[in-house]
Amino acid sequence: MEFDGERILDGINLYFNDHEFLTLLGPSGCGKTTTLRIIGGFLTPTSGRVLFDGKCINDVPPYERQINTVFQRYALFPHLNVYDNIAFGLKVAKLPKDEIHTRVQEMLEIVGLQGFENRRIDKLSGGQQQRVAIARALVNRPKVLLLDEPLAALDLRLRKDMQNELKRIQQAMGITFIYVTHDQEEALSMSDTVVVMDKGRIQQIGKPEDIYNEPKNAFVADFIGESNILDGVMNADYKVKFFGRTFRCLDAGFQPNEPVDVVIRPEDIDFVDPEAGHLTGTVTSVTFKGLNYDIIVDFKGFKWLIQTTDHQPVGATVGIRLNPEDIHVMHKSEYSGLFGDYSSYSAEYDELTEDADDEEE
Amino acid sequence: MKKTNRLFTVLIFIFLYIPMAVLIVGSFNTGKNLAVFEGFTLNQYRELFRDQDLLALLGNSLLIAILSTAIATAFGTLSAVGIYRMKPKLRKAVMSLTNIPMTNPDIVTGISLSLLFVFIGTGLLGQRQSLNFWTLLLAHITFNLPYVILNVMPKLQQMNPALQDAAMDLGCTPLQSFFKVTIHEIMPGIISGAIMAFTMSLDDFVISYFVTGSQFVTLPVKIYSFTKKPIHPKIYAMFTLLFLLIFVLMVTMNLLQLRGEKQKAEKRAKDESKAMRTFKRVAAAACAFILLLGSVLLIATTRQDKVTLNVMNWGQNIADGSDGTMDLIAAFEEAYPYIDVNYSEYASNEELYSKLSGGGLVVDLIIPSDYMIARMISEDMLLPLDFENIPNYENVIETYKNQAYDPENKYSVPYTWGTVGIIYNSKYVDEADVTGWELLWNEKYKGQILMFDNSRDAFGVAQYMLGLDVNTTDKAELQKCADVLSEQRPLVQQYVMDQVYSKMEEGNAWIAPYYAGDAMMMMENNEDLRFYLPEDQAFNLFIDAMCIPACCQEKEAAELFINFMCDPEISGANMDYICYGSPIAGADAYMEDYLAESEIIYPPEEILKRGQSYGFLPEEITRYVENLFLQVRLN
Repeated sequence: MEFDGERILDGINLYFNDHEFLTLLGPSGCGKTTTLRIIGGFLTPTSGRVLFDGKCINDVPPYERQINTVFQRYALFPHLNVYDNIAFGLKVAKLPKDEIHTRVQEMLEIVGLQGFENRRIDKLSGGQQQRVAIARALVNRPKVLLLDEPLAALDLRLRKDMQNELKRIQQAMGITFIYVTHDQEEALSMSDTVVVMDKGRIQQIGKPEDIYNEPKNAFVADFIGESNILDGVMNADYKVKFFGRTFRCLDAGFQPNEPVDVVIRPEDIDFVDPEAGHLTGTVTSVTFKGLNYDIIVDFKGFKWLIQTTDHQPVGATVGIRLNPEDIHVMHKSEYSGLFGDYSSYSAEYDELTEDADDEEE
Repeated sequence: MKKTNRLFTVLIFIFLYIPMAVLIVGSFNTGKNLAVFEGFTLNQYRELFRDQDLLALLGNSLLIAILSTAIATAFGTLSAVGIYRMKPKLRKAVMSLTNIPMTNPDIVTGISLSLLFVFIGTGLLGQRQSLNFWTLLLAHITFNLPYVILNVMPKLQQMNPALQDAAMDLGCTPLQSFFKVTIHEIMPGIISGAIMAFTMSLDDFVISYFVTGSQFVTLPVKIYSFTKKPIHPKIYAMFTLLFLLIFVLMVTMNLLQLRGEKQKAEKRAKDESKAMRTFKRVAAAACAFILLLGSVLLIATTRQDKVTLNVMNWGQNIADGSDGTMDLIAAFEEAYPYIDVNYSEYASNEELYSKLSGGGLVVDLIIPSDYMIARMISEDMLLPLDFENIPNYENVIETYKNQAYDPENKYSVPYTWGTVGIIYNSKYVDEADVTGWELLWNEKYKGQILMFDNSRDAFGVAQYMLGLDVNTTDKAELQKCADVLSEQRPLVQQYVMDQVYSKMEEGNAWIAPYYAGDAMMMMENNEDLRFYLPEDQAFNLFIDAMCIPACCQEKEAAELFINFMCDPEISGANMDYICYGSPIAGADAYMEDYLAESEIIYPPEEILKRGQSYGFLPEEITRYVENLFLQVRLN
């Protein structure tokens, strides 16, 4: 897919299974919305094909596809009330009035908006508008529902509620959901399959657990949760060397002495007495996070993020032990060296990534 | 500070609305004079609704306004959508291009449209009459379009573009999505655009004046030709109604916008949507009805089982049934039921000349003056008459046949004759000063003197005063006249033609050179007015004669009309109204005695001997004189 000669999507090859909740996850500008618009029919790919039930639908306009969309900011029709918004697609399809009525009532019940039929759109809260948008799409009984960052405009609390709600609706109706978000937590908690995208390419496809535990490269490791990423060398199967020491690990199948990226999740690290540790370092910063502390420890000039419930004062010397299951080894990639260093860590890190919202076009 | 602000607001409102207030009060006045309120009456409104001609004109204006608004709104909305879909750079460029016609002076738009219509109609399609209802409609659509686009565009830009995607996603084709979603979003823009277009169209004068033919005239264009007599108070009544109509439209428009901005309570919204739906249905029905009515009217007016005779005459130059006179056009139509007379007016020979030479008009009969007839003959603008169709020609007194302007009398039949003298207000002008043409140069009456607004008559006055030949081709002599006229320039209040009536009758000017017959009419309305022919100096003796221009399409009907006018009884009745001398033998028997015996209309033989007629001037001299006069007026 190209815009004005600029390549936006490259080599996308995706399969969607029936009744699946699939999430396209990636930072702003990674091409996830473009992918969604191609599936919806609002964009025609410059090359490649979109198959639906085995048939190429490249030239099928959006209004003839059995696909419906929940738009980023809902795009409800302001001149119609709740009922007429939901009934819109059915009226266009010229269904009998009785059927329209039953199906709209049914949808109102599913999204929990009974009694709101005559409410004007601008008299609804964000969450209610969200439900109307979902109902308006689902009432047409599409085979696939596309959701473009549907929860981005809601506050945190409401977002959590709606996540559960969406999952419930998806399971109840048994429709394939293709969900676009930049929020990794949302992706992990709702999806059957997560597709991590960056720079117009698919970085990894897998179940949420696999993506988290077995990231394929430094980008995925960093984007999904927090990761300390170190340069290492794979001495042999199950043996990886970094910081001048060889550790036992669970990974195999690398070339002998292949340079690799080593991922260590901050929450997998436990403090021990300095003498008993594999490594010793100095605490340089401590941030209280509620559930745990974010502690930055300087190991020989390389700073790690460690998430633990054990409080350590700044300046303390600490030791850590690494168990084989705490260590994940990845092949080198174009992202190596770009992520996983907390030398410039600040407490606002999280918020910064989240605010870098997503005006993709 | 607040107080002064409020004071200024009040002052501005007074300033803006006082003229309308005067008009509205005037429309309820029993008297004719706006300055004195003599009593309340609804008579003007009654008269207005009884005046079929005026109502027909108003109907014309409304028809054009409604049709052009409907078409411009539809096209303008579609264009706005098209422009909106363009890439931003191109869109900006196109928007500035569509805005230019709005800032363009009306007169430029009017003349260029007129040229275009004549070029296409007469030049390419070979129509004789290229200016008509359709050109007027096209012109109105043209100048209405930008207003619609300008109003719709911002609404499109405010609209969430995802709405159209959403509609398509839910099964709408692009066209359906426009009608089911987009149009609702931009409706306030469409409505305000339409209202603006309607008001622009309804009150347009300048552009309409240039692009319409003589068959279909709108109200503003017609009112412009009412300048001769003081405007009848029933016109005030009509203006009041028009003002109210536009006022109501504007208020509606503002309320609609306000409603768009305000959010309303749920229940009210529900009621409104119901009311809105009913309103829409009614509006749709009304639109359909008006369109239907419009087309029926059109078909009715364009059906041609009758012959239309287009007569173009001086303003107020035929008896029209007012003040107890005979309505000659009605009488003619009664005598020849298959002929419909379409009557229009001009204010000077020069105006008639430029209208005819501009092309695009069909005129079957004109009544120019002597020197203009000579000019038109020399330029092949007239057709020779078939005198077999004009047996009444034998009634024409020999003196008025074979005149210098038409020596073999092939092209013209005399209509009236008369003199040019000075009309003055005896209340202000000292009788001792009333001697010759010099009165028009008298410093005492600076700012109270009116002068002819046409080169031939203005130079004639100078030539008679200086004792020069009025048909001279000597440029030095003409230059001398120009110098004298330039000297007069600072004394002159205004250069006028038909406006002389209201100025003199209302005492707003005291001295003016004008035609004797018109002077008689003015004297009927103001008893202080007097008329005289200068002592011991020459003056203009003119003949207006009926001619058939080259653009004529109904020559035989035109000749019947000429013949009709040569009947002594008809000519006499005509003179009762226009107060000129009749060239028809025996006409005086049918004129009112005071006219037949008037020395103003029929001066004694020894005075009449001093009269001189305008003769033919070569094209070059005519242009030279016109240029000199232009310089006199501009300096």
